[in-house]
Amino acid sequence: MVIKINSQEGSKRLSTQELLQAIYSGIEQGETEFEIAACGQHDIGGPLWSAKGPLTFRVTNPGQRVGSMCMEGTTVIVEGSASADVGWLNAGGEIIVKGDGGDTTGHCAASGKIFVGGRGGTRTGSLMKHDPAYAPPELWILKNTGSFSFEFMGGGIAVVCGVDVPEGVSLLGERACAGMVGGTVYFRGAPGSVTAAAAKITELDEKDKKFLTANLPVFLQKIARPELLSELQDLRPWQKITARTYAERAQKERPSLRDFRLKEWVPGGIFGDIYPDDARVVGLVNHAADRLRIPDWQNYAAAAPCEDACFARIPSQMRFALLRQNRLADAYKLILEYSPFPGSVCGSVCPSPCMTACTRCRVDEPLNIKALGAFSADIPAPRRARDTGRKIAVVGAGVGGLTAAWLLRLRGHAVTVYEKDAQIGGKLFNAVSRERLDFTVLQKELARIKSTGIEFKTSTPVDKKLYQQLKKDYDCVVLAIGAYQPKTPPWPGKERLLPSLDFLKKVNNGEKPRIGKKVVVIGAGNSGMDVVFGAYACGAREVTAIDVQQPSAFALEIDRAKALGAHILWPVFTEEITAEGVKLKDGKILPADTVIISIGEAPLAAEILDAPELDRGYLKTQAGRLLADNVYAIGDLTKLGLLVEAIGGGREAALRINAALHNEPYAAGPQTRIPVDQLSLAYFTCAEITAADRNASREDAILQEARKCISCGTCRDCQMCLKACPEHAISRTVKAEDNTYAYSSDPKKCIGCGICEGVCPCGVWRLKDNPL
Amino acid sequence: MEAVTATELTVNDLPWRIEWNPCLCKLCGSCVAACSFRAIEAGVEARRYIYAEGDIPEPVEGEKYSVPVIRQIAAVKNHCVGCGMCEKICPNRAIRPVRNEDSRWPVIAREGGQPVKRGGRANLNADDRTFDKIVVGRISQMTDPSLDAERHTFDILAPFGRVLPAAQTPLSVKDGRLVLTKPLPPVRWIYPLICGDMSIGALSPRAWEAIALAVACLNEKYQLPVRMCSGEGGMPVRLLKSKYLKYLILQIASGHFGWNRIIKAMPEMTEDPAGVIIKIGQGAKPGDGGLLLAAKVAPHIQAIRGVPKSDLLSPPNHQGLYSIEESVQKMFLSLNAAFKFRVPVVIKTSATASSVSIYNNLLRDPYHIVGGYFIDGLYGGTGAANEVSLDHTGHPIVSKIRDCYLAAVAQGRQGQIPLWGAGGIGMTGNAAADAFKLICLGANGVSIGKLLLQIMGCVGNDHGRCNACNTGLCPTGLTTQDIKLVRRLDVDRAAQNIVDYMLAFDQELRKLMAPIGNSSLPVGRSDALVATDKAVAEQLKIPYAC
Repeated sequence: MVIKINSQEGSKRLSTQELLQAIYSGIEQGETEFEIAACGQHDIGGPLWSAKGPLTFRVTNPGQRVGSMCMEGTTVIVEGSASADVGWLNAGGEIIVKGDGGDTTGHCAASGKIFVGGRGGTRTGSLMKHDPAYAPPELWILKNTGSFSFEFMGGGIAVVCGVDVPEGVSLLGERACAGMVGGTVYFRGAPGSVTAAAAKITELDEKDKKFLTANLPVFLQKIARPELLSELQDLRPWQKITARTYAERAQKERPSLRDFRLKEWVPGGIFGDIYPDDARVVGLVNHAADRLRIPDWQNYAAAAPCEDACFARIPSQMRFALLRQNRLADAYKLILEYSPFPGSVCGSVCPSPCMTACTRCRVDEPLNIKALGAFSADIPAPRRARDTGRKIAVVGAGVGGLTAAWLLRLRGHAVTVYEKDAQIGGKLFNAVSRERLDFTVLQKELARIKSTGIEFKTSTPVDKKLYQQLKKDYDCVVLAIGAYQPKTPPWPGKERLLPSLDFLKKVNNGEKPRIGKKVVVIGAGNSGMDVVFGAYACGAREVTAIDVQQPSAFALEIDRAKALGAHILWPVFTEEITAEGVKLKDGKILPADTVIISIGEAPLAAEILDAPELDRGYLKTQAGRLLADNVYAIGDLTKLGLLVEAIGGGREAALRINAALHNEPYAAGPQTRIPVDQLSLAYFTCAEITAADRNASREDAILQEARKCISCGTCRDCQMCLKACPEHAISRTVKAEDNTYAYSSDPKKCIGCGICEGVCPCGVWRLKDNPL
Repeated sequence: MEAVTATELTVNDLPWRIEWNPCLCKLCGSCVAACSFRAIEAGVEARRYIYAEGDIPEPVEGEKYSVPVIRQIAAVKNHCVGCGMCEKICPNRAIRPVRNEDSRWPVIAREGGQPVKRGGRANLNADDRTFDKIVVGRISQMTDPSLDAERHTFDILAPFGRVLPAAQTPLSVKDGRLVLTKPLPPVRWIYPLICGDMSIGALSPRAWEAIALAVACLNEKYQLPVRMCSGEGGMPVRLLKSKYLKYLILQIASGHFGWNRIIKAMPEMTEDPAGVIIKIGQGAKPGDGGLLLAAKVAPHIQAIRGVPKSDLLSPPNHQGLYSIEESVQKMFLSLNAAFKFRVPVVIKTSATASSVSIYNNLLRDPYHIVGGYFIDGLYGGTGAANEVSLDHTGHPIVSKIRDCYLAAVAQGRQGQIPLWGAGGIGMTGNAAADAFKLICLGANGVSIGKLLLQIMGCVGNDHGRCNACNTGLCPTGLTTQDIKLVRRLDVDRAAQNIVDYMLAFDQELRKLMAPIGNSSLPVGRSDALVATDKAVAEQLKIPYAC
């Protein structure tokens, strides 16, 4: 029996709850068929079931959610249209709407079938799903849907047949299938703006065609429109929408920026005309021009501290390098290119600033460079260059003049030395105490100078007239007349003073000048100590050296003087020289039979030059020791200094003259000292002095020193770089003609890491910014 | 034994220390080769050991040797900035920079009597952000459904240019039709985020081009109307003449750098630029002019700017402007006239206690030539600045935008002179959140700069990492002119990263607009915000919530 429920009688309308309660009681009474004249009541049709069998509801004018949560075995047939949410959460029912479905038709349907004989509203089919334990839900729409249809669709099948779609209206509304992740929407006609990010439109395959062919007649029969079959079963206008798979969405196509740049962007780039850029992309580590930095083997680009401290710029690191190569003769000979006095100055009286500066002081003790000098005292003069035919006059045969003469002569120039004394050697010969300098060494070295064929005109003072003549007769003149005028303050009684140079000269000539028992020496420099030694040698019993400041003599000399019994007093200020001795400003008197003054000398430049320009008593020169055209001035004439300063001056003048005569630039060698932080001192450790060392021969000892030399700024040829370079970019090549070696780094292999610089003990490898 | 004095600089005085593990190192040299700052070097160290043999103290001399090592250079000039390229390149994880908590950097960095200069961003109080004390607390729930961020159609556009209120629109009826009686002031509706103000010179050519490329691509391929501002330093002529000029905003600052070429290119321009920004001041170093250190003044910069290689300092103020009235009239008129009143002109100042006065003045705008007010706040970045300016001057942007907006509201003039804010937008990585909050407080849009660098690969941060943009030694090739470093930057990838970030930004902005139910930008919708800090709530006039 069919239960008929009329939901409205007169003005009385059943509420949704009353209507549904009526249905429930009908089912409880065992009824299965219902005809319901609804009046907008919600939720008609589910979730309901009966032990008696399938349930059928024929409904007119239902409210929202007709067929909601509809179960398998339930059929809901709506005559006419339905409101929103037809078949909401349909769980297996068959819902037929003969007219239009409202908004969200089929919303969340997960199984069962919904047939709509008209349109679907907005968001039709949204969130449909397919539970794989059951057959997929189906949603059939005869005409079209509103916008946002099939949003978030996760499964199931929808079919939109596109019948009677009004002109200008798209089949699936605007932006269909947003968020769609599964299921299939079959449609016929122009779909409108389907959300491409989520879904794709494709042609039907055989399976699809089979499904439609089989089911279209069923749908049309359900909605009682079989006449449309012939139109709809022409499957050519049909297509389908499926969701992009998860994998497809992950690799969604996006415009490539590279393509955009290459095909659409300003050709050649916007900076292409002003910034040179080859568009290469490089990593963090590169070769050749792409390196941030490049290494450079800067061998001997900077002076070693020993060399830089030496006024004669003697590169002792080179001498030690030659010793390490077992080239002993070359090592000993090298110094003669700098000084003809290795034995008497370097090895004897020089205070050895080279050793004070020696980097090895930072490790343990300086190398014994002084000892090295003695090895060069006995060797013969090097071979002279061919005669050049050029003539040079040297005025003064002190160490400065002799150095200039020696070097110029070795370079093949004819050299004449004019000396007012009968002897050559200047102060080294006359003033330096034989206590300090082994006379035989000096004699050997003077003889070696003479052996080169320098012409000596001794006992020939040069006066203004001769000087003018020399300038005419010679290509160049070197003035090296020294400083011989004792400096004497205007003390009362200064005429009682004995000048130290006069005294020392006599001592060194073996004249034993007469002096008293008590001697006071004013001035306690090295020269003062020489006077002290001379005074004792001449019979003095009590010698006192005084100075206004801390004595400038070397500690060694002071000790030696003290050992002889001398007193050294400072600060002491002289007031007057009297018959009793030296009267001091504090009133005391230092008793003396003889007072010798040794506080320095000034040159007698005016004997040669007209109106010489002096600076505090010493001759001023221009840059490069030039006094006038082709006239050079050196030594104590220009500045009172150590013997080695005069030697350095003589060497510089000689090299400048030689360069000028050959029309070559003056090559001075490196002028800057290598900074200590460029060296790797970690290699060098404090050496233990063993008994074997103490007993070693002189030669063995110096070879041992050579091993210890750091070789600051000059390649030690240790090959650490060669082995440490991670890219094997470094090679060592030897020049066949002179057997010299050089290191280089191959830009193609080098990455500019600077390990070569880091491991170089000598600071020779330098890493610089790559300017490219 | 080496003599070391107590006052000597050591690596422990520096802001970053290099941790190097000799057991893992194979001395491949990569770290030293890669370090653009030359903060590390190879060196040699001595090793020796003595041990006692047997069961009595009988000394035996063990090996004595010297080994190559990688070590940090202890010098102010070569200080490690923590960029981590060494760590990145090391195949063995043997080396890395570590922040040095015992650093004496602030007192040693002034070596030589010069103020500390650096690039990057403010490192002071960088963690104390107002933005992070504000949340979008008004969520549309049952009273009004929130929008679906994924599918809703949003209108994400902001005005760049003078917006006339309806009453002032010069309309009249002629022959039954509405007609304009005079031209409207130019206004461009653009994306509410501008890629801001980083000059050619500050950036490498590749970095600058990458931003331009990304912006063009976002417009052409993704229909996202993002604009880029040139910064002070001109524009490449090729770009000026290209169709992409329409996406570019020209900047004129006190140095007027680059304008010669811009003017000369005018006859050949096929498009108008998107706008002009008159830069008065910058948030990162307010009251101090532009600064481009000589290391970065490469030949092409010299050419575009018309200056020799030197430290380039823009004056802190415009030389020809002596009052705000004059600024408005003279600069706005000239720049409006430059493009025949077709191109909107805006002005940018550092955020300052006096920003409201400036805005009030701009709001009068009787000639309709003021196209917007850009306020640049604290925490913005810069290519180079004196650190004292960077860390200790400036004004936070948040309350400043709010104050200006409310000042306009009080006069009923909000929306007429668009307000744009910058300075620390996206500092923690999420620019959309910051932008959204600033918009709710009254901004029409925001500008980002430093964030772009980060998107392109900058490794710097607000806690003192790298920030060496001023040195010209940028390890990522972003802020250097040295081709060897510039080559490290992949233009396509850098631009792609920006595109990606912007697309994500756009999505994220929607994710914030949807919950408050706004389809268009919620300018001034401060009811959408709550503050979790009472003082912030009070100052910004938004509800406090806890």
